[in-house]
Amino acid sequence: MYNPQRVHPLAILEFTLRKIYSLGQALLPLLIIAIAQQEIRKWLLPATPILLVLFVAYGILYWLRYVFYISGQELRVEYGVLVRKKRYIPFERIQTVQISAGILQRLFGLVKVQVETAGGGRKAEFVLAALPRDRAAELQKILQTGETHLEAREDEKEYIEYKLSTRSLLLLASTSNGIGVVLSAFFVIISQLNDFFPNLDVWEKVGSYAGHLATGRISLIILAIFLLFLLAWLLSLLGTIIQFGGFQLRRTGDRIIIKRGLFEQQQVSIPIKRIQAIKVVEGLLRQPWGMVSVQVVSISNTGTKGEGNVLFPLLPKAELPAFLGQVAPEFSMPWELQGLPARARRRYLLANIIPALIIAIFCAFYWPWGYIAILLPVLGAALGNKQYNDAGYQMVDNKLLLRSRSLGRVTMIIPRRRIQSLHVSQNPFQARNDLSNLRVAIASSNTPTTVRLKGMDIQKSRGIMNCFANTH
Amino acid sequence: MRNNPQQRINAKAVSYWRWSAGIKSGFLLLISAGYHMAQQHWHWPAWISFVLLGLTLAYAIYAIILKPDITWRTWRYNVSEQEIDLLHGVFIRTRTLIPMVRVQHVDTEQGPLLRRFGLSSVSISTAAGSHEIPALADEVAALLRDQISVLARVVDEDV
Repeated sequence: MYNPQRVHPLAILEFTLRKIYSLGQALLPLLIIAIAQQEIRKWLLPATPILLVLFVAYGILYWLRYVFYISGQELRVEYGVLVRKKRYIPFERIQTVQISAGILQRLFGLVKVQVETAGGGRKAEFVLAALPRDRAAELQKILQTGETHLEAREDEKEYIEYKLSTRSLLLLASTSNGIGVVLSAFFVIISQLNDFFPNLDVWEKVGSYAGHLATGRISLIILAIFLLFLLAWLLSLLGTIIQFGGFQLRRTGDRIIIKRGLFEQQQVSIPIKRIQAIKVVEGLLRQPWGMVSVQVVSISNTGTKGEGNVLFPLLPKAELPAFLGQVAPEFSMPWELQGLPARARRRYLLANIIPALIIAIFCAFYWPWGYIAILLPVLGAALGNKQYNDAGYQMVDNKLLLRSRSLGRVTMIIPRRRIQSLHVSQNPFQARNDLSNLRVAIASSNTPTTVRLKGMDIQKSRGIMNCFANTH
Repeated sequence: MRNNPQQRINAKAVSYWRWSAGIKSGFLLLISAGYHMAQQHWHWPAWISFVLLGLTLAYAIYAIILKPDITWRTWRYNVSEQEIDLLHGVFIRTRTLIPMVRVQHVDTEQGPLLRRFGLSSVSISTAAGSHEIPALADEVAALLRDQISVLARVVDEDV
């Protein structure tokens, strides 16, 4: 049923723009030099439309030559104007098929399809820039099930759906720690300005301006910093709303399908088989609201880091057991944790108090108001105590649950069959107290993930090791 | 309770580590000497010379004299049909368990220095990183590699 065919003509626009962009990017320095010359600038006006026509012609040609089809159990694409390329991808190598729609595509009721395999970097192996929505859905189904004859399957009719409520979205946005990201983006932009216009001396200007203010009134600086933070926070708020607006999750058969995005709708489909572990994060800012965020550790490389692995961005904690039971029963287990032995508390306290104390001592010496830093060790002690209280584990029906806190509280649920290797270690102090650290390595797309719990009773660690060793 | 693994690595590992640490110390000594000469020439601070020399000496004593013997005495491994069991670490004792069905591939490696001692190391890779058994006799390493590779061939569908 899938004979060689082209994508929707709207793709011409994308091909053309992409070519202009890539060429422009490569020739930017040359272009700037050229524009600076008086004689060349004369030619610019007549040359522009000619160039534009050439680019559009190239885009049309590219579109004409861009053909995809399915042959046997392979997706095949043939493309290229001067250099003709053919790319064949066997179905079983395809990891994810992602459907998204930008503003332009939406105007025409079209979508973009990205096909990814396990290899390679961030970029999708293969992008179909514009396809009608139903055709894209059909293609996605063929590629993922490997069935060329499509019949509506029964189990796809019944599904469970979760939507992100507006209240949750707003809470998510206002507590997202994108603040730091946006702030650093500010600095990157400013330093980039410096690279592009060396004569501008941005930092010097900023510095002298700040100095000017400082000689004026100190409250102005504080106000400026506050405004900067506020602006950064608002931007991150907006970013989160755009990214997660309209979030909905659906379990159909053996996969979870996530749709999200306010302007550019994205659809990600995660096969349950690829999920290695479920991670429940209770951030410092979100814990008081009783909200948790649910993430997955998986071995497909969809999306950029941090957004591709969100299973559900914000969920009331009370709903979590029901959520896991319905959406991912493979990972659902009772949440009764065993805590750590009392003799492990000391280590948690010391690990926080000592660094805080060192910083406090330095601050007290070198800063005028430094003695306030003496509060740091107290905070450290409080944090250490909280870390100790929150740490815990559980092993029930072949699932291991480990919970710990650095700042936010993180709970991992790992099926025993997903554990790649298990480590129990003891330093001399722990050996004296019969304590140990438990570490578990699981596979994930980028770097291997390890989950650890410090200060477990050595007998309990050995018990888990025995459980793990018997009957694989 | 599970017993600790019992197999030891090859005793020649001790001299191999001593040689390897000796060569590294030699390089470090060269750096100290280089700094000393530069210091004479350009009148850089002299105390750095002593610090460098001291650090090099401390490293040499630890890595040539102390560490190889302790490491050898504390390393244990065991390979059964079900899993690979490692126990090592001088200060921090770590026990590692790798189920055979999780093993993706197994390599033997041999650098020029290892070759002089007739030793190889075996490294076992899972989907979440690799683990090494250092310094086994060539024949033992080859046998172990083949054995693990056969045992690991039991196909497991979920990664």
